[in-house]
Amino acid sequence: MSELKKQIKKRLKNLQSLPTLPPIVGQLTKLIADERSTAQQVAALIEKDQVLTGKVLKMVNSAFYGFPRRISTVSNAIVLLGFNVVRTLVITASIFETMQAQDLKLWEHSLGTAAAAGLLATKLELKNPEEVTTAGLLHDIGKVVLRTEFPEILKQIEKTVQEKGIYFREAEQEILDFDHGEIGRLLANQWNLPERLVEPIAYHHAVEKARKFKKETAIVHFADIMVRAVGYGSGGDPWVPPLNDKAWKILRLTEEDIFELIPAFDEKLIELRLFTLEMQNEMA
Amino acid sequence: MKWRNKLFILARSEWVKELTSFLKDEFFIEFSDIPEKAVEKVLNNPPELLLIEEALSPEMAKNLVLAFKKDLHLTFLPILLIVSQQELNKDWEKLPVDDFVLEKANPEEIKSRLKLALVRVKCSADANPLTGLPGNTSILRTIQEKIDRKEKVAVAYVDIDQFKPFNDRYGFARGDEILRALARILSNVLGLKCREEGFVGHIGGDDFVFICPEDLVEEVCQEIIEEYERILPNFIDPEDLERGYFIARTRQGKIEKIPFPSLSIAVVPLRGGRFKHYGEVSAVASELKKIVKAKKGSNYLIDRRKN
Repeated sequence: MSELKKQIKKRLKNLQSLPTLPPIVGQLTKLIADERSTAQQVAALIEKDQVLTGKVLKMVNSAFYGFPRRISTVSNAIVLLGFNVVRTLVITASIFETMQAQDLKLWEHSLGTAAAAGLLATKLELKNPEEVTTAGLLHDIGKVVLRTEFPEILKQIEKTVQEKGIYFREAEQEILDFDHGEIGRLLANQWNLPERLVEPIAYHHAVEKARKFKKETAIVHFADIMVRAVGYGSGGDPWVPPLNDKAWKILRLTEEDIFELIPAFDEKLIELRLFTLEMQNEMA
Repeated sequence: MKWRNKLFILARSEWVKELTSFLKDEFFIEFSDIPEKAVEKVLNNPPELLLIEEALSPEMAKNLVLAFKKDLHLTFLPILLIVSQQELNKDWEKLPVDDFVLEKANPEEIKSRLKLALVRVKCSADANPLTGLPGNTSILRTIQEKIDRKEKVAVAYVDIDQFKPFNDRYGFARGDEILRALARILSNVLGLKCREEGFVGHIGGDDFVFICPEDLVEEVCQEIIEEYERILPNFIDPEDLERGYFIARTRQGKIEKIPFPSLSIAVVPLRGGRFKHYGEVSAVASELKKIVKAKKGSNYLIDRRKN
């Protein structure tokens, strides 16, 4: 293992909490203070944020609760943790002190990928589409880590992307010798997340490496591409990632499937754009 | 070095930092002045004692204490609050800590209070070691109390059908996981629907009891079953889930289809002076259990008979 990777691994071990976007925490605090709000409403809002979702799943999967690596959706987590614990998690969530446009872009990208992954999972008749949605939401958690914990390295990567005109992931590999998928994998394992989430996070750019959850991983891979293609948010570079052969074979999407998916996805995007606009207004 | 109890301190003032170095012979100490760090630490890897400085942020301190005290797994974590002389007069009902220490108190005194809090906790626990729920002594005492006070409550007996085949298929460790998850579902649903009026206990194995106001019991049963069914697939392997049942071999070597574990709930309303002794309640419950267990899937049955 390279020196740098060891360093990153060590840092992840001591990572207490990732910061998230102020407006979402603001909205949640309001929702939770309202006696009439339900667990479902709170779950729906937490599922709009990869950092809070990660935080809730980390907690419910910790060894302390006694069912590690089992729970992969926020709504299940709320049932098991209870409203009080989730409330406490939200009121103590840390937020970005200064938020940059890039933070919002990555957040949008994650939301869009979650939506596309959910649609694909439903279309392909997976048993639990909600889990795949969560995997889509969390797939770039490694990039959040780069952003908040290793800003210097991130700057170098961004510079390389611009100067050489290469993919973000290629720049990561040039500088780190591994990518955000690997950082995400380390973090997700550190957090005891179920494998059905870990594999898509780890291998959404290298679907052939997935062992148990190939379909889920292929879906997140393709969802990522769909969101990049419509240009909603940003994953760090302006290009659409290459389609992985293996993923395409696993998905076996027909032309008909795609024709059905695109309008449904467009509709979801309109919804999401309204939501992110609301967030931006709250920030301004 | 001798074995030390784990103490978490959430505080900021200089004198507490000094106190920390005094206490470190007696306790294994983790210190933080950031509430969010404390929350993560305490929830993920709870200490045996928690010391919070109120002056850090009174509102936050209150919220933390309430949240920790309400959490099933943490009910036996003693929390001590550091308060100033001026803040001493307060409504402790609303801030249910186990003890307090005064700001800048004698370190020896603080040490003794911390040690005493640990001792007290050991005396009061008949909790089930697996789930942290109150055990038989507390259950029987609570039922008898409700009978004596003629409260309008219902006592419900919960157990898992097909729990043994589940254990045979996946092993006891996974069985324990389900029991812990069920314990949390029960206490979360009761907490949400009945607040302070609900009670949950763990008799042992897959047998649980809850008590709630009679007019809420139907709603509570439905919610428990709904949430249990929602959580269950997380504990079943993908290939079994795909098939929809377990396959087992009987002693005669025959192949059998066995359904996934489901819940049975038998509910006995106490209705004023119907019972004199808790033994009568469980006798009625076992009759009901036979009926409810004969049905497929998760079910509840409320005893509607007048006498």
